[in-house]
Amino acid sequence: MTDINFNIDQPDLPEERINKHKDFSKLMYNYQLATKPLNKTPLHKYKHRRIYLIILLVLLVMFIIIEVMDKDEKPQEPATQEQIDTPGN
Amino acid sequence: MSVHHKNDMDLKQEMQLVEAAKIDPARFNVLYDRYYKSIFVFIYRRTADEDVTADITSQVFLKALINIKKYEFKGVPFSAWLFRIAFNEVNMYFRKNSTNRVVSLEKNGLHQIVQEVEEGENVDAQQRMMTALKQLDVDDVQLIELRFFEKRSFAEVGTIVGITETNAKVKVYRILDKLKKILGKKNN
Repeated sequence: MTDINFNIDQPDLPEERINKHKDFSKLMYNYQLATKPLNKTPLHKYKHRRIYLIILLVLLVMFIIIEVMDKDEKPQEPATQEQIDTPGN
Repeated sequence: MSVHHKNDMDLKQEMQLVEAAKIDPARFNVLYDRYYKSIFVFIYRRTADEDVTADITSQVFLKALINIKKYEFKGVPFSAWLFRIAFNEVNMYFRKNSTNRVVSLEKNGLHQIVQEVEEGENVDAQQRMMTALKQLDVDDVQLIELRFFEKRSFAEVGTIVGITETNAKVKVYRILDKLKKILGKKNN
């Protein structure tokens, strides 16, 4: 069963009461707010360039460290027979 | 002819206003002025709360303005698109809040629906019809409301609810059958 209240022959609100809520400039303001891009300043024009450079540098150093660690972890190739049977042994 | 019908000339003029608003949102003011009252009344008849209605109405026009570029003419007035947004916003309001839905009806509309389901025309029949309406699903009540209490065409009912005109027709007649069955059970 649906919870419904029936309003029978109830008059609509008077026009003045309805017009009291009408405000096109408020609508336009809300529209501007809703459609304005969140980040107004493009990243490259951002004030704190130094911070971005430091972050970039840290990331670069981390990348190099990871690369070097990867190389160290690689297993060394087993020595060939020739190297083992060197003259003098 | 329903009060919501428009002739081709009106539709063409309205389309020009819509196209202008697509280019310059400030030009939306003509459509805003034209439909503010009818959208407000549409929502007020379903909520019976002035402040809630004002909030939902401003939300409807904001959504309309944001999405106006996506609007395409489909043979029904622009207002049908606005009513569809309003319809969805009202449904969203009732989903979020546990308040009862309101159905505003005139005795004429009730009289018409009583006639459709072949009930005797008296006060008791109208009372029983209201009780029967309460037994329908929310979606069914909304269709009856749009068709009989607001006297909209099937094309407009379809646009507002988001179904085809034929589908709206079929659904409304099925609901009338349902009402007949509910009233039949009560009479037996």
